[in-house]
Amino acid sequence: MHIPDGYLSPETCGVFGAAMVPVWTTAGRRVRKIVKNRYVPLVALGAAYSFLVMMFNVPIPDGTTAHAVGAVLIAVLLGPWAAVVAVSIALLIQALFFGDGGVLALGANTFNMAFVMPMVGYGVYRTLSRNVSLTSPRRPIAAGMGAYVGLNAAAFCSAVELGLQPALFHSANGTPLYSPFHLAQSIPAMAFAHLTVAGGVEFALTAGVVAYLQRANLPLLRINHRAVPDTDAELAPPNRPPWRWALVGLATLVVLTPVGLRAPGGAFGEDALSDLPLHKYHLDAVPTGLRHYAGFWHNALFNGYGFDNGSHPTIGYLVSALVGIAVIGAVVFAGFTVVRRVRRGHDVDDDFETAPT
Amino acid sequence: MTVSDADMPTADDALLIVEGASYSYLDRFPALDDVSMSVQSGEKVALLGANGCGKSTLLKVLAGLLFPDRGRYTAFAAHVTEDGLEDAQFARGFRSRVGVVFQNSEAQVFSPTVREEIAFGPLNMGLERDEIAERVDDSLAMLDILDLADRAPYQLSGGQKKRVAIASVLVMNPDVLLLDEPTATLDARTQDWLIDLLVELNAAGKTIVLATHDLNTLDRLADRCIVFSEDHRVATDGPTHRVLRDQDLLAAVNLVRAGSRSPRLAAGWPLPS
Amino acid sequence: MSATSTTPKWLLQHEVGLCPCACIGKRRKGGVIEKTTSGAAALLRQTLFSEDVAGERGLLQRLDPRVKVLSLLGLLVVTADLRHIPVLLGMYAGTLALAAASKLRLSFFVKRVWLFIPVFTGVVVLPATLNVVTHGDIVVPLGTWFGHHLGLTEQGLRSAGLVVTRVATSISLVVLLTISTPWAKLLAALRALRAPRLLILVLGMAYRYLFLLLNAVTDMYVARRARTVAGATDATSGRLLVAASAGALFGKAQTLAEEVHLAMVARGYAGDARSVTAFRMRLLDAAFVLACVAAAVAAVGVDRLLGR
Ligand SMILES: Nc1ncnc2c1ncn2[C@@H]1O[C@H](COP(=O)(O)OP(=O)(O)O)[C@@H](O)[C@H]1O
Ligand SMILES: [Mg+2]
Repeated sequence: MHIPDGYLSPETCGVFGAAMVPVWTTAGRRVRKIVKNRYVPLVALGAAYSFLVMMFNVPIPDGTTAHAVGAVLIAVLLGPWAAVVAVSIALLIQALFFGDGGVLALGANTFNMAFVMPMVGYGVYRTLSRNVSLTSPRRPIAAGMGAYVGLNAAAFCSAVELGLQPALFHSANGTPLYSPFHLAQSIPAMAFAHLTVAGGVEFALTAGVVAYLQRANLPLLRINHRAVPDTDAELAPPNRPPWRWALVGLATLVVLTPVGLRAPGGAFGEDALSDLPLHKYHLDAVPTGLRHYAGFWHNALFNGYGFDNGSHPTIGYLVSALVGIAVIGAVVFAGFTVVRRVRRGHDVDDDFETAPT
Repeated sequence: MTVSDADMPTADDALLIVEGASYSYLDRFPALDDVSMSVQSGEKVALLGANGCGKSTLLKVLAGLLFPDRGRYTAFAAHVTEDGLEDAQFARGFRSRVGVVFQNSEAQVFSPTVREEIAFGPLNMGLERDEIAERVDDSLAMLDILDLADRAPYQLSGGQKKRVAIASVLVMNPDVLLLDEPTATLDARTQDWLIDLLVELNAAGKTIVLATHDLNTLDRLADRCIVFSEDHRVATDGPTHRVLRDQDLLAAVNLVRAGSRSPRLAAGWPLPS
Repeated sequence: MSATSTTPKWLLQHEVGLCPCACIGKRRKGGVIEKTTSGAAALLRQTLFSEDVAGERGLLQRLDPRVKVLSLLGLLVVTADLRHIPVLLGMYAGTLALAAASKLRLSFFVKRVWLFIPVFTGVVVLPATLNVVTHGDIVVPLGTWFGHHLGLTEQGLRSAGLVVTRVATSISLVVLLTISTPWAKLLAALRALRAPRLLILVLGMAYRYLFLLLNAVTDMYVARRARTVAGATDATSGRLLVAASAGALFGKAQTLAEEVHLAMVARGYAGDARSVTAFRMRLLDAAFVLACVAAAVAAVGVDRLLGR
């Protein structure tokens, strides 16, 4: 999902860079206000941690590995605004040293992975874990679900960003100048891989870490959950079922799932890439999202989007684009609404604070 | 006050005074229990005790980094509180007069380069740029690390990191130096160098408080010892030679094995009577 | 509080089942995770923390870091805007020349740049050369498929070439910057260029502790390998291990953050980041800026001449 430089037009990069400025400013201000000067080392270590989480490769059933982004994990541990800063800085370091995610594309990448992902994911997590004690087995599941939905929201955004390129930027004879795949191709490819493999990895990592901390280091979970009681016994009786907001997350999935299911190709395109000496290095510096395209062309042939009859699919992708933008807007809006709602309800434990020492 | 020794200084002219301080981490792990102690200007005081007895915690209280749940801390005749240190003027005065060398130099050396690390304190004090540059160079020279000035922390050995940590504190020219297990993890030669440095600084008028459980270096490093029991209380407070002779007490607080003799005594060190 | 609990007898005897000479039993290849972390950690450490190249006395190394940041960033923007493969290739040749002038071994530089992103980009954009993805004039017919013509289009091929050369050139520019500049100087340059001071402080600290946490990760896996006696680690236990390691790592990070915070406060930190470094521009810097501007103007000019 890390978009390198060269895939997005400078205009796109500019728009997303500009969009991130107020986000970063807000994040900086909010985090700073809540933890005062304590936040510098905490966020710095959070960024280093986030960088390494992206390097943790998790074994998946087909014998290969995949890595997670960890943005929702950081949001659960340190709060969503701290996650914005930490993941942005991790992405900046990656862009500078690995070209994994571009320098100009940093705005777009941070928008997807450091903003949409933690916000949406944290919203889902808060919704599902409302009235759940700190040690409840439901909490890791909620975190995992948040991570799953957050990752897919981020993947969806990046698919839209990439998919809009050929429609917006092409030469007179129709040569795509940047990423050549249309929305109708980029969205299903990204959605499929992230709904299955990458989403599973993200779920497993996030839920696993939260479950581990519940067992081994509860004080760490308290950093961002100050008012949450430890056990179910201490819980106040529930006042309102949380299902209304859970529906938002589920609705997102419902919207995304059929799109993804139409793309039957091998996720991650591992077959096509297996002859590269990557395994020797085992550095997952390859943008996850890009790999998906490798095995993708099977899909385009079979998926009935109307490309095989040679007609220009303008209408097809315009409709896809509109749908895409509508969904992206809905997802972001929903995420915000959830976070705001939740914040109004629980002002204390939503914020990012460290335990007093 | 538990101080009853005849040659103990009285508390009123002391530089740092802790009275009846208690502290628990996360409100459930006790680290200090009703601790009272004081430090005179120009003294070398050692906090002695087994692992986990609360030495580091007391140093952090003395450094104004932790604030006792109960009890009172007075430094330079001013009451030190969390609110008080919010005041920029007071904080600047207090921080520049009290320097802390932490046990973990890894955490203390956090800047991208050694030079920036050493300049960090003076910059926060608001000194002039030229003066900062001069002081940084002097500190580098004093600790014999001029050649490391532009290195990154991860390119340094443990001993070098300790030197950088000490330089970064000395550059602020503090009156009081607090050191947490300064000689632990250092090789013998670096230990000797550090002890000589501390003695020299003390001769120059610096007050030194250090935490240790190393009895071997104590006679050179401390005039007075405050011994902690494992229940986080002060077990005794007195001149180093007297404390080192009290084998029963040292065994009771787990600093020496019961039945063995303290290392200095075993080495036949002549005791002043 | 006595520590003299008795040592269990089994601890004092040699384990009969274990062969002391490692001469029997089959060799086991390290598990996926193990290889992954040790490989990744080694490569990461090398890429992030090696300052060999930055220590050479080449062209880029001699430049004022601020000039370098601005010029290379400018070229990056120009590269993003170019629309013709020959112009992009010219740009790429320029980065090779810069690398050579900065005493970089070209084979090393090319490998560092092309592995992995541009190579992958190549694989990724392959399907876009087909007429089913990129419509246009078929130049390489591949036959028919259920009655439909299949082939590579001119537009598709050109698009693929464009993306790959642009990706490679962009990465080359960024690598030139980071490889020829010690990290501390790069930070100082960003600071001098008015990047928010807190960003620089956090960035510098994140990088500094990355090294420490990276070592912690490696240690965790080494400790784990030391305790793994038999059998391959299956995927489930592997996942549990990753989750536990990631959780333990967060604990380390948090403790460290607390300690660092205290160390900062003890030296008077109150939320403001300050710095001492000062830079000086020289003739060489001015010349480099001029050369970059000229290159940019030429590239954009030729690109426009060839048509948009
Ligand atoms: N961050 C912390 N959280 C919880 N307990 C702590 C923390 N730091 C220290 N403690 C506890 O406080 C007690 C005193 O610790 P410390 O002052 O570090 O001892 P010492 O330096 O003498 O070895 C110990 O029992 C230790 O377990
Ligand atoms: Mg200690």
